[in-house]
Amino acid sequence: MTGRTAIYNARLIDPASGRDERGGIIIEGSVILEAGAGVTRTSPADLKIDARGKALAPGLIDLRVKTGEPGAEHKETLQTASDAAAAGGVTTFVVMPDTDPVIDTVALVDFIKRRADGVAKVKVHPAGGLTLGLQGQRMSEIGLIHEAGAVFFSNGDRPVEDAGVLRRAMSYAASFDALVASRPDTPALSAGSVMNAGAFAARLGLRGAPPEAEWIALERDLMLAETTGVRLLADCISTARSLEALERARRAGVKAACSVASYSLFFNELDIGDYLTYCKVQPPFRSERDRQALIAGLRDGLINAVVSAHDPQPTEDKRLPIADAAYGAVGLETLLPCLLSIAVREDIPLAQALKPVTSGPADLLGLPQGRLAKGAPADLILFDPAAPWACDRDDLSSRSKNSPFDGRRLEGRVLRTWVDGVSVFERGQERD
Amino acid sequence: MADYAFSHRHLLGIEGLNRLDIETLLALGDRYVELNRQRIKHADTLAGRTLVNLFFENSTRTQGSFEIAGRRLGADVVTMPIATSSVKKGETLIDTAMTLNAMRPDLLVIRHGSSGAVKLLSRKVDCAVINAGDGTHEHPTQALLDALTIRRRIGDIGGLRIAICGDILHSRVARSNVACLNILGAEVRLIAPRTLIPPGAEAWGAEVFTDMRRGLAGCDVVMMLRLQQERMDGAYLPSAREFFHYWGLDADKLAHAKPDALVLHPGPMNRGVAIESSIADHKTRSLITEQVEMGVAIRMAVLETLAKTAPDPSAAAAQARAPGAGRAGAGASAPAGARPQARTP
Repeated sequence: MTGRTAIYNARLIDPASGRDERGGIIIEGSVILEAGAGVTRTSPADLKIDARGKALAPGLIDLRVKTGEPGAEHKETLQTASDAAAAGGVTTFVVMPDTDPVIDTVALVDFIKRRADGVAKVKVHPAGGLTLGLQGQRMSEIGLIHEAGAVFFSNGDRPVEDAGVLRRAMSYAASFDALVASRPDTPALSAGSVMNAGAFAARLGLRGAPPEAEWIALERDLMLAETTGVRLLADCISTARSLEALERARRAGVKAACSVASYSLFFNELDIGDYLTYCKVQPPFRSERDRQALIAGLRDGLINAVVSAHDPQPTEDKRLPIADAAYGAVGLETLLPCLLSIAVREDIPLAQALKPVTSGPADLLGLPQGRLAKGAPADLILFDPAAPWACDRDDLSSRSKNSPFDGRRLEGRVLRTWVDGVSVFERGQERD
Repeated sequence: MADYAFSHRHLLGIEGLNRLDIETLLALGDRYVELNRQRIKHADTLAGRTLVNLFFENSTRTQGSFEIAGRRLGADVVTMPIATSSVKKGETLIDTAMTLNAMRPDLLVIRHGSSGAVKLLSRKVDCAVINAGDGTHEHPTQALLDALTIRRRIGDIGGLRIAICGDILHSRVARSNVACLNILGAEVRLIAPRTLIPPGAEAWGAEVFTDMRRGLAGCDVVMMLRLQQERMDGAYLPSAREFFHYWGLDADKLAHAKPDALVLHPGPMNRGVAIESSIADHKTRSLITEQVEMGVAIRMAVLETLAKTAPDPSAAAAQARAPGAGRAGAGASAPAGARPQARTP
């Protein structure tokens, strides 16, 4: 039997129950034995850790991470992504199927799981490709891939344009009660875009992605989810109107959840500033009005998951004229700081702000972690919620450094991360 | 029962038939099974009558079954070679019907790839029309032969729990069977992935399942459907192996049905995709070859019944002069004229 660890003198934050109180946690083996005010310095344990009043919360669950493995290991491997995750307080992440080859077979799902078991410090779950090769034409072996351990199905960043294909794939997935994630986008409107369409894009002379590219696809997806009965995750919505459409659909009984990229809560279209290619992402940074609506959605609990949308791109793919640069931003190490900064600045209770990175995604995937409950896996993070720091891309653990947060001041970062009761990251004293 | 007057001029579907209609056909079918097992399998019920087979879709077993049924009843059977006919030369369906009608057949057996096409043809001809399958609409003789097969093995169909599994969406067999089994009082279940369940199937009078093991629980009979190869190319199903894994009938899944549950398949079978060979060939539980045998018998019953119901042109002319002509209760169908000598075995 493994030993007992007590972490005491902590500020316990459990988004699942809304609890925010002083107390501690006893870990036995890989699970939480006790969590609450009753855990103190005197609680019996083999190892005792004084949290010194810092916040102790469930480790983050990130539903959208791309690595370069297999196929583009120069961008990121499962190992380097997991290092970045541990340093960011992310204890579980889902890898998107847009790899080379695409994760659209049982064999690839097995590969990711075995590979992650060997090299990753954190828990890694694959998402399965909804269609073969993400070509949007023929559905993959959704049943077998689901059974092999894919936690949801997605066409990644290539929306299924053919509504007939999407409808049948959703309908088929509903046979297994599988979750289908779809990032709403209409390529006919957004192809070749660099940023949000509007006056600022026009002034910069850049091609913009209009918000209706998102609205049209989202309305379509919601309608198909309604008629097929599938569980839908509207992946990375970015506008006020998308949240409204989702609420309307949910009130009508559609099984629809949504995720928002953390950067959509932090940046608006003006942040692209002087043609910053690290700010070229999909969906793009939207208007300030949209950003405010997403923050209100976070406050009101309308957002099921906030994701890092981690998409590593090496310098050679970013240091280009912005129209030619790759889309994507790394985000595993800034997911928590981004949310903590918004919580501080917008005065959102921490337990509420962290819900979409803990119990929210856990409930969507049916995972036992993401909560401070007796018997739950001891995936935990200790963090200082208000410590100010400046993000420097060269300090990131990720193999690629393309972070729009580079040079930004943020509040709060992880001090220590545990996965299944094992400490996998501890920030050096010099940066504490 | 023998005196019950079948009042329909055509057999276009199970829809529109009542329980007595179906039981009349099944009873007659039963008697033809016995005839067919004799050394001399010949009746002359349809002597002098002409049966035309018109198959716009390829078929081996149904077409052969109707041919044999017609010949055993003594009819003159003509199978029109559609592949080389004027249809290929651009003749419209209606013109083909008018041409055939002018040849004065008594019975016309039609299979067509479009739902509703057989009904359309039936409006343009004077003879009795039998639907041998129209698109994804109905295949009534298949449902009748399945009912006959089950009835002969188990007895009363009322109260049996019967599962129909596979490509319900594209299946005319499923539609006819749900209707027929419902009329006969069975509890019908449909089992398929959601992509192969037609919208609104819940309202057919059948319970819908996507999990085959749950759907098969407590079933007395399992009817498998044919799955066409082109359905497994990723549009409706990802692959043949995934379909077999979840919806193919193997010993493991069949174990969830009643211990002595029977298995039917309308053919042609796709072994290893829809059904495991050891089940298809099972000596006591598989009724697949019996279905073929019942097919001939039930088609003889249908041909005879419709031939009897058909108006006799000469008698109709005579009756037109007589008072009180016509028969009450004949519904929308034409009144049955003077009956030809009803000679059943």
